[in-house]
Amino acid sequence: METRSDLRTEELLINMGPQHPSTHGVLRLVLTIDGERVVQAVPHIGYLHSSMEKIAEAKTYRQYMPFADRYDYLNAMGNELAYVRAVEKLCGIEVTPRCEYIRVIMAEMNRIASHLVYFGTLGLDTGSWSPFLYCFREREAIIQLFEDTSGQRLLYHYFRIGGLRNDLPSHFCDKLAEFLDYFPARINEYNDLLTNNIIFQRRMQGIGYLSPELCRRYSVTGPNIRGAGIPYDIRRVVGYSVYPELEFDIPTRPEGDAYARHLVRVEEMRQSVRILKQCLEKLPEGEINVKVPRRLKPVVGEVYERVESPRGELACYLISDGSEKPWRLHWRAPSFYNLQVLPELLKGAYVADTVAILGSIDIVLPDVDR
Amino acid sequence: MDAGLDMRTTGTKSDDSILSILRLIVQGIVSIAKSHWVTLVNFWRPTVCERYPHKDKSLDYKPGPGYKGDFALITDKEKGRLRCIACQSCERACPNHCIRVVPAGKGKDRYPAEFYIDVGLCMNCEICVEVCPVDALTMTPDYECSVHDPRDLIRNIKQLTERGMEFDEVSRVR
Amino acid sequence: MDSSLIFTIGNALRTWLEGLCRAHGVPTLVVDILAWGTGAVLVVVLGLLVALFVIWLERKVAGYIQTRLGPTRVGPVGIFQTAMDALKILQKEDIIPRGADYWLHLAGPVLYFTALVLGFAVIPWDVKATLAATVDLNVGLIYVIGVTSVGVLGVVMSGWGSNNKWSLLGAMRAAAQIISYDVPLLLALICVVMVAGTLSLTRIVELQGSAGILGWYVFKPYLWLPFIIFVICGTAEVNRTPFDIPEAESELVAGFHTEYSGMKFALFFLTEFDHMWFVGLLGATLFLGGWYSPLGAADPIPGFVWLMIKSFIFVLVLQWFRWTLPRLRVDQLMGLAWKFLIPAGFVALAIVCVAVLFI
Repeated sequence: METRSDLRTEELLINMGPQHPSTHGVLRLVLTIDGERVVQAVPHIGYLHSSMEKIAEAKTYRQYMPFADRYDYLNAMGNELAYVRAVEKLCGIEVTPRCEYIRVIMAEMNRIASHLVYFGTLGLDTGSWSPFLYCFREREAIIQLFEDTSGQRLLYHYFRIGGLRNDLPSHFCDKLAEFLDYFPARINEYNDLLTNNIIFQRRMQGIGYLSPELCRRYSVTGPNIRGAGIPYDIRRVVGYSVYPELEFDIPTRPEGDAYARHLVRVEEMRQSVRILKQCLEKLPEGEINVKVPRRLKPVVGEVYERVESPRGELACYLISDGSEKPWRLHWRAPSFYNLQVLPELLKGAYVADTVAILGSIDIVLPDVDR
Repeated sequence: MDAGLDMRTTGTKSDDSILSILRLIVQGIVSIAKSHWVTLVNFWRPTVCERYPHKDKSLDYKPGPGYKGDFALITDKEKGRLRCIACQSCERACPNHCIRVVPAGKGKDRYPAEFYIDVGLCMNCEICVEVCPVDALTMTPDYECSVHDPRDLIRNIKQLTERGMEFDEVSRVR
Repeated sequence: MDSSLIFTIGNALRTWLEGLCRAHGVPTLVVDILAWGTGAVLVVVLGLLVALFVIWLERKVAGYIQTRLGPTRVGPVGIFQTAMDALKILQKEDIIPRGADYWLHLAGPVLYFTALVLGFAVIPWDVKATLAATVDLNVGLIYVIGVTSVGVLGVVMSGWGSNNKWSLLGAMRAAAQIISYDVPLLLALICVVMVAGTLSLTRIVELQGSAGILGWYVFKPYLWLPFIIFVICGTAEVNRTPFDIPEAESELVAGFHTEYSGMKFALFFLTEFDHMWFVGLLGATLFLGGWYSPLGAADPIPGFVWLMIKSFIFVLVLQWFRWTLPRLRVDQLMGLAWKFLIPAGFVALAIVCVAVLFI
């Protein structure tokens, strides 16, 4: 297109966040925009830094457990799982089968809850308000079960080194089975409301294209890489806990755009339902706790334990110097890695797409900043 | 803006035949109608709101046993004294250092002269309850902790004992 | 109360005042001005009250759609919630950002509000509402379109005058949107004008009422397409989801009214909801037979009430849209207007041409 030489246009530098309704917390994006087009996007992070890794060096292994909940608050059970598995590996503790199953149940329930929050907030980002409330209604059922089990609604501190806080409450299995019965129908309903809605489709398709090559370069994981067509899932790749005994698919989509990532997450909720149903069937009876010494002193060494969080590969890296406290703890936080690729995705997108793309890679800011 | 970038972001391949446009229109109308059906159905579903706080307190939500709410010290009803032996295990175990126990007495008669818990600092991890050798400390299903002055969030032994009167054992999930 | 009673009282008052004027040698023009003034004040007050009610209704509808309750505390079913909110917002500090253009910042909401209120002048409230509340212009429809389109100037002014980039983006979007959507809206309205053969809103209503309920334009198959275009464009004109890109809460913070507080913000807010009602009134007037009762002439319910009921059907439908649909992107919004609605408008025009010629 040719413009007259005496007409001059100018790029606009605009500051999106840290106070902005849809940066999912306090992310700050400095956008250079040309009209409605984004020319360059620079994310600034660190507004929620809470020294989660440094705190570990001053706490004993047991004392750090509640902190593990706190950085990716939508996936508290998953974080606990990563941490508790790392410590158990370090100390050579084997937990009972019932405990393993309950842990997987909790992690998968939390995956559904987390994806529901994602679904709702993506609706908000694209201007549709109702899915948010509907998703929170469904999430409430899960949260209520968590509350009955662990005594808390968001930051559970339910897993313990070598076991769990307590066994499942008596009504848990019935309530969960009831939820699993009606939930898939609700997913269909929300698909009708949002996923299959033509406005939403046209908005999400073709934006934020993430190629497999780009995923590898930025080590993007989780539903984002599966939305680019690579079936990379730690539950399969590593096969930790009881996952090898369970049947489930790894949903992938070849398109690599925001809509593909959305579809992958929706399908993952269904797969989680499938896993949960199997877990309820196979849930063995027996003890949940094994004996662990009161003063926990692992041998000198290091472990790196990976689990699949709703956002991708979550890993806990622990170095022990033989004392009661970890010498160093590092979280491989999936949101942090997934966020790095954002400037690539935003180039050439519309301003309206920035929020949709940001929503579609599903970050949790405390997880980014830790 | 180069052309490749445009293609990538404007996305969907444009197929401009009349048939495909008509299909798009029909598909759009159907999908939008379906969306409206979902909201209509939900309009008639029961509401999920709980109108907390109720004038009638009995309608307020009561969490089940094992809920990690406010703290209480359990009194041994037979002996007529607190179970707590002021061993200060909880004080040492607390990750946030929000417990302070002032012991008094010697040997078997050791008891807490003062027992402070800063609920404002507490993160409800329940480690203090777990480390207690005599099961003297418990978390209760009492969740209404809001106050106007942050200093009121520090629980002292009197408050803790009072709240513990309803409890014979540590509150646990059943 | 029967509207004819008000009419009688009003007329008696008017005759008495005119007599008074003649007795004292004052030109009767004063009485006309007084009557028009009273009518205008009545309409503006009614508009503001309805806006408060529409906001409450919106919150209730949104609540129930989202399985919530909406406002419940102030008054029965929370009916006084918005009145209290209005009182609260009156006490708020009026903030003008540093570097803002004071006059543009001030004029924006005022113009936005005034433009809409002027549009109410030609709405035919009732069959006998010649009591100065309605000005029966012979170019009523053109007047409505002309006057309400001025409102977007207020949006652009406030967007530019706020010294905020988000506001500026919102204002630019608003300008583009209103210009685009006025075209198919006009095409749809031309269809109605062609069928009616007049631009006077009062006359259009009378023509519809002459043949009972089936005479309403919404029941004429060749006017269905214009009706649909009218509803879509009406939603776009009032900047509501799925066309709310000028405010686009999740993208532009609050769009053109990001930097407004206190009463100026309230003006934007009230105008927005009043505008929605206005589109309802216009739709009821043009397509749903205005003040005419669906039960026929023997219906004791005053026509004004029927007009309100019909306009609120539109309001509820617009609210239903808002709480269901996601927002369009700016290019898709333009695409919808230029690629779909304007061709559809021309098709509708052709259909109506044929219908008018042969039916």
